[in-house]
Amino acid sequence: MLSLVLKRIVWAIPVLFIVATISFGLMRIVPGGPFDEEKSLPPEIVANIKAKYNLDKPIPEQYFLYMSRLVKGDLGVSYKYVHRTVNDILADAFPVSLQLGILGLVLAIGIGVPLGTIAAVNRGRKLDFLAMLVATVGISVPGFVTGALLIFVFGLWLKLAPVALWESFRHMILPAFTLSLSPAAYLARLTRASVLEVMEKDYVRTARSKGLSSAKTIIKHVLRNALVPVLTVLGPLTAIIITGSFVVEYMYAIPGMGRFFITAVSNRDYDLIMATTLVFAVLLVIANTIVDVLYTVLDPRIQVKN
Amino acid sequence: MKFLLPIFAVLLVLVLVGAGWSPKSISPEAGCLRINLGTEPPSLDWTVTVDNYSFDVIANLMVGLTQYRNNLTCKPSVASSWDVLDGGKRYVFHLRKDVVWSDGKPVTAHDFVYAWRRMLTPATAAQNAFLFYDVINAYEFNIGKIKDFQQVGVKAKDNYTLEVNLRRPVAYFINITALSPAFPLRQDVVERYGDSWCEPEHIVTNGPFLLTKWQHEYKIELTANPRFFEGQPKLKKVKYFMVPEPSTALALYENGELDFIDNRSFPTPDVERYRKSPEYHNYPLLRNNYVGFNVTKKPFDNKLVRQAFSAAIDREVFPKILRRKEFPSSCWIPPSLMGYDKNSGPAFSPERARQLLAQAGFPNGKGLPPITFLYPQREDVRLVVEAMQDQFKRNLNVNVDLINQEWKVFLATCRNDAPQMYRSSWGADYPDPETFMSNFTSRNGNNHTRWKNKAYDDLVERAGGEPDQKKRADLYQQADTLLCKDESPLICTYLASQNILVRPWVKGLEFNAMDLQFFKTAYIETKGY
Repeated sequence: MLSLVLKRIVWAIPVLFIVATISFGLMRIVPGGPFDEEKSLPPEIVANIKAKYNLDKPIPEQYFLYMSRLVKGDLGVSYKYVHRTVNDILADAFPVSLQLGILGLVLAIGIGVPLGTIAAVNRGRKLDFLAMLVATVGISVPGFVTGALLIFVFGLWLKLAPVALWESFRHMILPAFTLSLSPAAYLARLTRASVLEVMEKDYVRTARSKGLSSAKTIIKHVLRNALVPVLTVLGPLTAIIITGSFVVEYMYAIPGMGRFFITAVSNRDYDLIMATTLVFAVLLVIANTIVDVLYTVLDPRIQVKN
Repeated sequence: MKFLLPIFAVLLVLVLVGAGWSPKSISPEAGCLRINLGTEPPSLDWTVTVDNYSFDVIANLMVGLTQYRNNLTCKPSVASSWDVLDGGKRYVFHLRKDVVWSDGKPVTAHDFVYAWRRMLTPATAAQNAFLFYDVINAYEFNIGKIKDFQQVGVKAKDNYTLEVNLRRPVAYFINITALSPAFPLRQDVVERYGDSWCEPEHIVTNGPFLLTKWQHEYKIELTANPRFFEGQPKLKKVKYFMVPEPSTALALYENGELDFIDNRSFPTPDVERYRKSPEYHNYPLLRNNYVGFNVTKKPFDNKLVRQAFSAAIDREVFPKILRRKEFPSSCWIPPSLMGYDKNSGPAFSPERARQLLAQAGFPNGKGLPPITFLYPQREDVRLVVEAMQDQFKRNLNVNVDLINQEWKVFLATCRNDAPQMYRSSWGADYPDPETFMSNFTSRNGNNHTRWKNKAYDDLVERAGGEPDQKKRADLYQQADTLLCKDESPLICTYLASQNILVRPWVKGLEFNAMDLQFFKTAYIETKGY
């Protein structure tokens, strides 16, 4: 298992290098620069700005400078937020997204897996129909609609939860719920399909014929195997959910990292774009590695090679 | 479907409970003004910042030599008076001796000299440095041509006397001294703390409030400055939240968690809803909107075509579709500034527009090449350009193709090679016609129309240096007529307005067309709420 983790770390280095290189190239191709604003600046001022941020140097030199800083852990400076380094920005924003993301993930798993299991066990019955109806709605309705609805019902109307902001645990409830709905719905559908498949297996029939209760059969024999495909999607899902959601953070005024995936691009804040991309890539690698390790725990027959 | 009945029942119970739920009372937070800034200010370093979000905060943290009154004239602030000498080329500012920084040290002329030196130093890369290029050798220092700041025309004659020498008389120079790049700065603080000098734990300021908390991307808190030379403000605290989504900000306002919201937080459909509310206020802004023609491209190389297009637009339609009490205008100088004359721009006349087009050789629009109209992706802009497209078709029988681009791509396109028509706007840097009129001089980087006119350049140049205000106004009015009516490299459309909601317990707020929000006179009336 240790060698698996080590191999993944070694493999991550060229992956991150390629991600960084492609992102760097794409940013420079897109028209418009970080200092293009409605009010055009005199060329003398533009020259000073470019010199300050090394944007007056040839692209290959800029790339070399960036990469040499990156290997030292320096993610650069923000062109938009003067005097702030990208490291500072992420240090402020990532913990917020992580906090919200973990809560959202727990909710997504806590809602999705039981919902899918209930649907599968009650296949073709009303509960199955109801669970899948909820799941379909969860997948189909965009986050900004769900968020607006929750704000209106629970914030403005019933006044059970704060409308927005990031002050206390109470302020996390609505955004975490909004964040979790779509992944929960996806997990529910996946779990249902997987549980149904496993329930057809001989060993499940054997367990039942030996007199094991339905609940015990499901929990002990079905779920353990049915969760393997669910686990597969949990890797990327975790990376997506803990790096924040633009919609949820924007809507609930949460100072997380999700909004930078969009605003950094629209501001052409080059170093911040690179950093958000790289952080996402790193988290994806970590999450997938953990999932691979968990495979072997859930099903000892699975051996991950290379 | 029987199983759905319990769900409906639960929902019904929720509705009933909701209806009977006693709402949290909406009341003020004593001594505290809670407002929405909308987004993170890019910087509170007043020397380098150029955006409105930052300046909204800085305007309550700092004061400079002068300050704008709400009628947009300049009044003394740190400078108690000033002398204008040598025909307008030399300004001597006499500083008050009772103005202190938040750590108790006096504000001196040397703090201004340091601030201006830092702003003009090439490595600082201050975007607004060009506003000071009329100061002797400021330009040369800023481009690195001279290294010795002693040669630049700003000097501290003593602790409380600041002298500024200009290379030419600049009639609007006093307006520049009220801008944030001209504010004083503490050299010891900047040098000690480097890039983090404007964080709450390090910053020193001289204005009505102190920066006490800055949670990036979330909230800024200011507290009253007991050392402020005009006296401690009545408000104990100002909280700026950074709620980017307007409907959320409005929900917070309606829930009693914000006391004040403006255009940034006020969705258009809700402006209608609040129109008759006593909490609703509206005032015009110094922001003019226009459509530019690239005069190097056919058919707009012909001024008759440009005039025809301009006369074909009924500007009264814009407030009807945008619904924020916009002010229709066909001229470039806004009404609150000198030189404004509503007759400087063309009147709406479809008949005359058709005549002009025929005169240009395109009767009923026949023979015109395909016309492209570029605009940035934004809902309100889309409504405007679609309304104009419709009017060109109805009034001139001309089809115009609309193309939209993402904001930065749009800017790059306009800068490199603007299409035949493009939509843009301009907000005043300072309350003087110069900030508008200089945009269309031949060498200005904002002039994407590529229109060059020596007579216009001369008028604007002369007006900029003319000390007699009446003569200045006449010169600007002539230039505005030349620009909007005679040559028409642009179609002026409307002036933007500010729409705000203020809770009744907020008193003493003052508004102005520059949209500067000064809170030193504001207070919260808790009695009765």
